[in-house]
Amino acid sequence: MHSFGKHKIKFSVLSALLIASCIEPFNAVFTDFESALVIEATITNEVKQQEILLSRSFEFDADGPISEPNANVRIVDSGGNTFSFSDQGNGLYLSEESFGAQPGVDYQLLVTTSDGRDYNSDQTPLKTGTGIEQITAERIVNNDGQDGMAILVDSFDPSGNSKNYRYEYEETFRVIAPSWQPVKLVPETEFGCTMILVRNNDLAQVCYETNNSNQIIQTSTEDLDEDRVENFMVRFISRQNYIISHRYSILVRQFVQSDEAFNFYSTLKELSSSESLFSQTQPGFLQGNVFSSENSEERVLGFFDVSTVSEQRLFFNYDDFYPGEDLPPYIDPCQTSSPVIANEGGCVLRPIIEIGAGVYAGDSGAEPGSNQGPYLIVRRICGDCSVLGPQEIPEFWIE
Amino acid sequence: MKKIMTVFMLFMSMQYVFAQTEVPRISVSFTNTPAEDALAEIERKTSYKFFYLSDWLKELRVTGNFQDTPVNTVLDNLFEDTVLNYFIMDSDRIYLLQNNQIYDSLPDDFFGAPDKVEDDFPQYDQLQDIGPLFVGNDDNNRGLETVKIGRENRNSRRRTFTLNGKALNARTGQPIPDLAIIVEGKDIGTSTNANGNYSLELPIGENIITTRGLGIEESRTQIILYNDGSYNFQLNESVEALDEVVVQGNIDRNVETAITGVTLIEVEKIKNIPLVLGERDVLKAAVTLPGITTAGEGASGYNVRGGRTDQNLILLDNGVIYNPSHFFGIFSAINPFTTGSAEIYKGHIPAQFGGRLSSVFDITSKDANTEKFSGEASIGPVTSNIVLETPIIKDKAALMVGGRATYSDWILDSLDDEQLSNSTASFFDVLAKYNHTINENNELKATGYFSRDEFSITSDSIFNYSNRLVSLGWDHKFSDKTTGSLVLSNSEYQFGIEFDGESNDDFDLGYKNNETEFKYRMRYLPGGKHSFDFGIASKLYVVDPGNIDPLGTDSDVSSLVIPRERGLESAVFISDSYEVNDKLLIDMGLRFSFYAALGAGQQRIYQDNAPRNSGTLVETQEFDDNEVIETYGGPEVRLSARYFLAPDFSVKASVNNAFQYIHTLSNNTTVSPTDTWKLSDLNIKPQEAYQASLGFYKNFEGNKYELSLEGYYKEQRNLLDYKVGAQLLLNEAIEQEVLQGDGQAYGVEFLIKKNEGKLNGWLGYTYSRSFVKLDSEFNEERVNNGEFFPSNFDKPHDISLVANYKFTRRFSASANFVYQTGRPVTFPIGSFAFNNSEFVFYSDRNKFRIPDYYRLDLSFNMEGNHKIKKFAHSFWSFSIYNVLGRNNPYSVFFVTEDGDIKAFQSSIFAIPVPTITYNFKF
Repeated sequence: MHSFGKHKIKFSVLSALLIASCIEPFNAVFTDFESALVIEATITNEVKQQEILLSRSFEFDADGPISEPNANVRIVDSGGNTFSFSDQGNGLYLSEESFGAQPGVDYQLLVTTSDGRDYNSDQTPLKTGTGIEQITAERIVNNDGQDGMAILVDSFDPSGNSKNYRYEYEETFRVIAPSWQPVKLVPETEFGCTMILVRNNDLAQVCYETNNSNQIIQTSTEDLDEDRVENFMVRFISRQNYIISHRYSILVRQFVQSDEAFNFYSTLKELSSSESLFSQTQPGFLQGNVFSSENSEERVLGFFDVSTVSEQRLFFNYDDFYPGEDLPPYIDPCQTSSPVIANEGGCVLRPIIEIGAGVYAGDSGAEPGSNQGPYLIVRRICGDCSVLGPQEIPEFWIE
Repeated sequence: MKKIMTVFMLFMSMQYVFAQTEVPRISVSFTNTPAEDALAEIERKTSYKFFYLSDWLKELRVTGNFQDTPVNTVLDNLFEDTVLNYFIMDSDRIYLLQNNQIYDSLPDDFFGAPDKVEDDFPQYDQLQDIGPLFVGNDDNNRGLETVKIGRENRNSRRRTFTLNGKALNARTGQPIPDLAIIVEGKDIGTSTNANGNYSLELPIGENIITTRGLGIEESRTQIILYNDGSYNFQLNESVEALDEVVVQGNIDRNVETAITGVTLIEVEKIKNIPLVLGERDVLKAAVTLPGITTAGEGASGYNVRGGRTDQNLILLDNGVIYNPSHFFGIFSAINPFTTGSAEIYKGHIPAQFGGRLSSVFDITSKDANTEKFSGEASIGPVTSNIVLETPIIKDKAALMVGGRATYSDWILDSLDDEQLSNSTASFFDVLAKYNHTINENNELKATGYFSRDEFSITSDSIFNYSNRLVSLGWDHKFSDKTTGSLVLSNSEYQFGIEFDGESNDDFDLGYKNNETEFKYRMRYLPGGKHSFDFGIASKLYVVDPGNIDPLGTDSDVSSLVIPRERGLESAVFISDSYEVNDKLLIDMGLRFSFYAALGAGQQRIYQDNAPRNSGTLVETQEFDDNEVIETYGGPEVRLSARYFLAPDFSVKASVNNAFQYIHTLSNNTTVSPTDTWKLSDLNIKPQEAYQASLGFYKNFEGNKYELSLEGYYKEQRNLLDYKVGAQLLLNEAIEQEVLQGDGQAYGVEFLIKKNEGKLNGWLGYTYSRSFVKLDSEFNEERVNNGEFFPSNFDKPHDISLVANYKFTRRFSASANFVYQTGRPVTFPIGSFAFNNSEFVFYSDRNKFRIPDYYRLDLSFNMEGNHKIKKFAHSFWSFSIYNVLGRNNPYSVFFVTEDGDIKAFQSSIFAIPVPTITYNFKF
């Protein structure tokens, strides 16, 4: 499927400007907003405790998402087995026993919410398919002219059945707080403003931050001669991004999707792009394969997907690709300041340290009375990377 | 005219004279003598006595020198330029008359005595069904021209004959279309076609024929018919009609024609409707009439009776115009100065037209002036326009060239918005028309038209689109009963986008479609009550659905060409307008249309009983050049009837159906320059429509008021719509994105018009609904649960008022008020979390409506004086568009700003827009 997504957005916005000789906020009144149940469920062939997320849609100005607690969630397969799920909080439901989806079996998700409403999915078979062949990291200049690291996937299905691929990734990388000091400031007395330096044994210098993908990443081999994914870029990391500064690891997970699931995800992605006057995307309610069992008018969001999963992990160091080059800038510019110990209003430095807004980064060497304090202070993130991730080395980590 | 009247007067007088002894001869001389004195002089020199009212002669002075001249000749000369007639009663009495009522008392066999007439004079006594001449209650026969047609054939048993001919403007020699030709007291009538031709079946003998048309002086002619023949009406323009706002071309048409839902708009008659930016525009005038709407300000394309914008066949001199608008629809692409009239069929579509479901906009250019060089020009704030007409062969051939261009850039420059003031927008259109009357049986017309828009909003992109058409028409008269017209036309629409930005994704994108049509249509009037119209048409479509190429050497955009599509649409049609009796007229039409999608091409075959997507694709089939990929077709019934409930009150009903093989791909509510057209193929079926309508038409006070009430119900099949999230441009497998579903529309249209008087205009109200249903057993092909939902242009209430008030002949003011229910839109109604991020979710399709639309425009018009000898006639118009400053939302859209979704509405003219325009004509 060829699409014209790349240029579309620019084009849309520009066009809107010409016509819109007057654009002003529009007070849309959505009188009949009804919170809809959102079902996010991807059951895989991997034998594990399968996960299902239940939440509710929310209005634009509301805080979200709102999780859906205390629902009765189960999956019934065509062999007559029932897999029950239990509420883990935050809308996460885990299957009580481990299982993996089997080829040739149809699965149906059934949900009964705490208010007694029933929901069900279509009968969905496992989409069988191939696994990841390899993932590689490569230094490239991307289409926007940016230097950076590309994470590329290869996959091949000689049977030609897989065709629809969706990817998720989980990246973990080492962070070193640039302003970390072996000493830290603590109040000298219980009530005074004076601070003293003591040995630092809680502010973290080295941490391991983990992020999950939050984009819909898909590719299709439909138009290709063979069912081969080659050098498909699942992740691009700019050379300016601090996450590749030291050692970086990424776990890429590949889902082989049914056509229906693939279309649902790609349309969802399409709809979330900029929408305006001349945009060529048809808006509307995106119906997945989950429904209210009783009321066909009730809108249910989300999808119940049963797909074949495979995953691979890789590691690389900054030096492997940028030997001798400057590190990317840290996540924060780490500007130092020298707040006074106290002024007419009371203590100044002590509360900054105590609430964890700033940490010690050195001595300022300032003359007393010059409106500056004796210590250099930076934002906490510069001297304590535990804000970003734990200090413990992850189990999978390989140096 | 005067001269003919005089001849007629002589004729009448002489008939009498034949029965008399010699009229005395006199010698007399007058120089600016008061008429009464002159008559006294004649009385003195002869035995005659004059009888008259002094009032009649009060102002009259006569001049003349007569030597030994018969008295009647003297009188003829003296009264030549007056309204006076005279009657020599016997040897001593002469009655002066301002009318000829006196003939009422003439004996029935006055003309009937064969020995009193010349050899070729009719043998009236052999005609049982004609009455005596000049019998009747007419008090206006003084101006009646009498024409004898044909020579009597004594062996003929026929009681009716065919009269045909042309109506011509006596001043310009141009044909007068849509002139009503009515036979008094006989319920026979017709109207002239676009070329001014008419044909009538008349009973043998005397017929008084009245012609009526807008802007044309009414005429009455006495035709004495002995055999088939032809007669051309030479008619004068009527000065009074010049500045009236009249939309109906033919005053009796409302009640008289057999077909429902037809509207005629004459450009000359709409110039007082206040319009935006000083352009008078035939298509903009159309939307003030019931049943025709646009999606909003600045929307190009028309929705007719709940139909989509691609369902209108817009013809300019028989060639198709694909995008009828400039500047996103603010201006129409039809130059008003070159346009003669637009006939809009929204109910019953005559069998000769086909290929589009909802309507036909049959726009005809004026014929160029064959008499003298003339022109018209206008200067407005945004556009200027000039049209020149010149004879090539006097009275036979002439050329008209019209051009219009914009200088709208300065408007954009003057805007505060920096982004807008850096943009440019321009358009132009040119039209050339050549008309050549080769002889009385052959007429040739050729039209060439080109319009182009180009705009660039930022420095990195240029959009352009253009329409081009060429059409050639040849009208040939085989006999008095049979005429044929041949039309060859070719038209092309294309658009392009050039994107030249900073990075390496510069591209050049293009789209083009081209169609060539051949059509041959014949009219046959066998005599009696039938009138046949039949022919064949065939059209070849060639669509290049899109290509993209890298622009410049640095661009990394890869070239892509979507393969060309071709299709051949053909039709045979026949219709008969059958006058069953005085009251009932039936227009029976049948069209058989046939479509073949032609190779070379590729077609994707999908699994049966599965949704169409890349996963259900079975194979791709290749087709050779001209290989038939798929055929569609079927009969189209076009049936309409009129029944007179009273002479000025009729009821009409029609049923019709149609097929459409070409579809626009647009999920915008409005036509945008990136809409592409797609031909029916293996996967995309033709659209179909079935419409039934019923209407009542009543004229009051002799056509001063016109009232119509029309209702319709329409069903449509295989309407093209789109899956949620559909991507249409540069998509090879478009059938995976589209859905075909049913449509349903119904409505009631009410229109009251006042055609005459100081205050004239019309008020229209329409209640209409339009729905679509997209159902399927598959989720991805079902929209809104598979139930009917309002279409993008479902606007239930629509009120439109156009009023024009004439202070004097030169000064007038007009107002235009419009109210419409806001159109349906699909709003994002909330967010949800999925796949670790937030997404927007949309309501069901078209669940909400944008606020209602209303607008008032006013204009004040001043005409130059009407002196005939003046070089140019000028016309000033000052108008204010959107006087109330209503901020009518054109569109509502949503953008994500700082993670929040915000709603915005855009409007085109949120403030009153004043305009002054100067027109002149020479």
